[in-house]
Amino acid sequence: MTLRVLTVDDSRTILAMLHHTLSNAGFEVLQAEDGKQGLDLLKAESVDVVITDINMPVMDGIEFIKNVRATGQHNSLPILILTTETSQDKRDQGKAAGGTGWIVKPFDPEKLISVIQRVVH
Amino acid sequence: MSDLDDFKATYFDECSELLTELEEQFAAIEAGERDADRLNAVFRAIHSIKGGAGAFGFSAMVGFAHAYETLLDYVRDGRVELTDEVVSLCIRANDIVADHVNAAQSGDDLPADYGADEKARFDALARGDSAEDEEGEPIEDFDIEFTPVMVNLDAPASGEAPVEDAFEAPPMQAETGSWEIRFTPHRALYARANDPLLLFRELAALGRMQVVARLGEVPPLSDFEPFAVYCSWEITLSAPELSEAAIREVFEFVDGDCDIVIAQAGSAPFAGASFEDSPAVEAAAAVQDEPDLSSLLALTDDEMNGGPLVADLAEPVAPPEDFAPEPEAAPAGAQDAFEEAPALSFTALAEAIQPAPPPQAAKPAMPAAKALPTAGEGEEGHRSVGVQSIRVDLDKVDRVVNMVGELVITQSMLTQQMDETLRARYTELVRGLEVLAQTTRGLQDSVMAIRAQPVKSVFSRMPRLVRELASKTGKKIKLETIGENTEIDKTVIEQLSDPLTHMIRNSADHGIEDPARRLAAGKGETGTIRLSAEQAGGNILIIVEDDGAGINRERVLKLARDKGIVAPEITPTDEQIDQLIFAPGFSTAEAVSDISGRGVGMDVVLSNIKKIGGSVHVRSWTGKGTRMTLRLPLTLAVLDVMLVKVGGGPYVVPLSSIVETMQCSRANFERVPSGGRVLQVRGEYVQVIDLGQRFGLPNAVPAEEQFVVLCETEGSQKVALVVDDIIGQQQVVIKSLEENFERVDGIAGGTILGDGNVALIVDVQGLRSTHIHQNAA
Amino acid sequence: MEALSLRDDMSDKSAAAGQNSLQLIAFSIGEQTYGVEITTVREIRAWNGATPLPNTREFVRGVINLRGTIVPIFDLRARFGDGQTAPTKNHVVVVMSVGDKWVGILVDAVSDILTVNRDDIHNVPEGNAIDTELLNGIVTHDNRMVGLIDLHAVVTGAKMDG
Repeated sequence: MTLRVLTVDDSRTILAMLHHTLSNAGFEVLQAEDGKQGLDLLKAESVDVVITDINMPVMDGIEFIKNVRATGQHNSLPILILTTETSQDKRDQGKAAGGTGWIVKPFDPEKLISVIQRVVH
Repeated sequence: MSDLDDFKATYFDECSELLTELEEQFAAIEAGERDADRLNAVFRAIHSIKGGAGAFGFSAMVGFAHAYETLLDYVRDGRVELTDEVVSLCIRANDIVADHVNAAQSGDDLPADYGADEKARFDALARGDSAEDEEGEPIEDFDIEFTPVMVNLDAPASGEAPVEDAFEAPPMQAETGSWEIRFTPHRALYARANDPLLLFRELAALGRMQVVARLGEVPPLSDFEPFAVYCSWEITLSAPELSEAAIREVFEFVDGDCDIVIAQAGSAPFAGASFEDSPAVEAAAAVQDEPDLSSLLALTDDEMNGGPLVADLAEPVAPPEDFAPEPEAAPAGAQDAFEEAPALSFTALAEAIQPAPPPQAAKPAMPAAKALPTAGEGEEGHRSVGVQSIRVDLDKVDRVVNMVGELVITQSMLTQQMDETLRARYTELVRGLEVLAQTTRGLQDSVMAIRAQPVKSVFSRMPRLVRELASKTGKKIKLETIGENTEIDKTVIEQLSDPLTHMIRNSADHGIEDPARRLAAGKGETGTIRLSAEQAGGNILIIVEDDGAGINRERVLKLARDKGIVAPEITPTDEQIDQLIFAPGFSTAEAVSDISGRGVGMDVVLSNIKKIGGSVHVRSWTGKGTRMTLRLPLTLAVLDVMLVKVGGGPYVVPLSSIVETMQCSRANFERVPSGGRVLQVRGEYVQVIDLGQRFGLPNAVPAEEQFVVLCETEGSQKVALVVDDIIGQQQVVIKSLEENFERVDGIAGGTILGDGNVALIVDVQGLRSTHIHQNAA
Repeated sequence: MEALSLRDDMSDKSAAAGQNSLQLIAFSIGEQTYGVEITTVREIRAWNGATPLPNTREFVRGVINLRGTIVPIFDLRARFGDGQTAPTKNHVVVVMSVGDKWVGILVDAVSDILTVNRDDIHNVPEGNAIDTELLNGIVTHDNRMVGLIDLHAVVTGAKMDG
């Protein structure tokens, strides 16, 4: 069964790079440009893991994660945060909102895949 | 092109959009609009640019962008005040970032200290060094030594992935390999969708593992709380050279959501009062197999799907409004709900806490779900519902545009074939063709609209240009832009940038006077350049005008005579002198500055515009200013023309230029002293150009049987073209002559007629201009 | 209009030929034979008229429509200074790519495909200015002298001066 990943980021470049790495690794990739789009997509699609940026227009990553968890339907959906921040602050915020783990941007492709494998069955 | 190149191209595309947005947002911020949305938007823009720069290894850019981004972060937080000084600093910084992007794109290097002043100022502001003393809130030292990690997307990384620096515990006794781990997850661990089973799986990959589950805490069912955690585990793990750091890395994400004790095997025996007297359950002690804890974990995991664990998260959030309503086991009071039913049997309990049906099955039950959109490019995966636009490859659009163009020609040809007899006999056919013509026209307009974009993207580069020019020339110049939302075909827009740049440079260099001269002339110190775009009839008009000194006609004429562009005995009108600035090789700059004197002049501007079927006209008022008008076709592809014959060959004249046509026998020609001919039309004398003569073609038809096509060009100047025959109106598709050949004087381009032959487009404006320099007409 | 498309065959033939040999398409102007490297040729068409271009030299015959693109036609005879061709349906236009442009050359007839050895190519003898300008070399094949056309030279200098 192909694993499905939802990638949420307002940067076209990042979405393209994620798509490239993930589909080469055999994942099916869905894309959204901000938290609201991501949320809408989750209503209609089932995914196995989410990768989301923090800084996005309309609805940022923190709000997105909070909203996903609040639906009650995605409590075991792993959500990974993409962050360029080296400070602890954003990661803590993400975790507090319900995030599962994180990946530092710019991401190393192998590391990305291994982190995903770490949080998904 | 490698994938990396593709991504770079996407990145640079994105940067260009982001830079345009930065320019716009800061223009608004400068004007006083400083709301949170804007500040967030500019932060995100720099954040994205920095992110990509890091990924591709543009280290110079990263350093600068990081300092800028940090400042913007502090500004949006309110930690740094957004003074006018800061705004100006940021505007300068935008230019610096743009330079970095361009350098990265072209592979050039900027000087090492490029932007150092601005960066230093950012750092200072972020540290809190401002003019006023701030209240003691200490601003944390942010990490300027940020090192970007360059991404190699193609080759798999050999060797180990870099170890995350998120650990708290320093690695102890790194190389010996036997460890005992006690692991007790908290509720929050599950709330964040972490899974002990996965953690164990990862641990098992590190070495030989044995796991023992401690179930002493598990209460009787009557007290059982589905969301609480009762299990803990003791794990022994050994492998040669297994470090504590490696183990801690496995628990990286759940740090804080569990109790974890890691000790060297044998050094701290598994103690812990709570476990000693509880029955230990030996779980599977597999060597490399997954511990079979799933049956034990099933209860604690799956029932979590029954309701939101809002209580465990930082702040409770109301579920999004339009989301489907929850199944009964809903809100934060889940705990209470179960405590109220103490005497439930296990089966009843199991039924009450049914795991939520797997998501696939849930789909049809969700009233809020919308149909899956399949719009957009398959290669990019799904786009979510409610998206306003799709990205389409320009190639695909071009193909459609070309096909519609061919359709237009074919339809036009069909209509042409209808001669009088056919028309009389097949009225239905005629009507059908008329409808076809209308529909095709509508289709064409719609298709061209797809490719149309606001000129904003080109206009947005100009403010920076003007800033640079002002600073380089020492003049004070203000730029006004009007009509940026006017839409033009995308391919035309791309051709606009160079000509506009030249024209603005020209205004700044030659038009606007320096402040002292302006004051002496009774003008304000700051000169204005106004850039505007509007639709006028079937064209787009782009006007660059300034309130400078106007064209110095004496100097221009003298230079033109010196260069032999104008013959000595000819006295051009003011307007003709103005147009001379477009003559090849013309430049009035005595000191050729590095701004406008790069070896290209206004003649290049003119030819570039002509290439896309447009025209340029200049008007000047001495002491008051200069206005240059660019007239561009709305659509590149299809042109309405009048088909004529000259010397036996087909030529077309753009319909938009034609005022009227008449037969030569009826025309009122007169000779002028210089040897040319003029035509008298309603009291006006109009220059006559015999196309056959101009094009060196033999006259196929005697003079009286020729026709005159009266045309109006820029500046309402008229010219009368003499042709052998007038065939009729047509729509044609414009094709480039320069693609395989080169520019030909007097010819604006080529077209393909319905019969497949090439007809040349007469360059009316060009013919008129060069007419000054020729004696014979 | 007849059109022979050689593009598909060409790469095979070049591959088949050895390193030191050259494959040419030979054509004639009057009694003279000329050749161009086969890899430059895109199409061979029968002459079917051309729209004349004003303000160009006498050897620029005009332009034609090649599947929606405008391609200029050069009269090779006129280029060599031998007067203008009076083309009929039997004359031939060889469409070639020169740099990034496509151009057509009007010739009397196309003869055949020759394979010559690079070592057999001589320099153009001094004396005839036009030949030196327009030819890259001369090679003998089957007792015929074949002039190797320098395409870039042929297509430059097409505009009227002044």
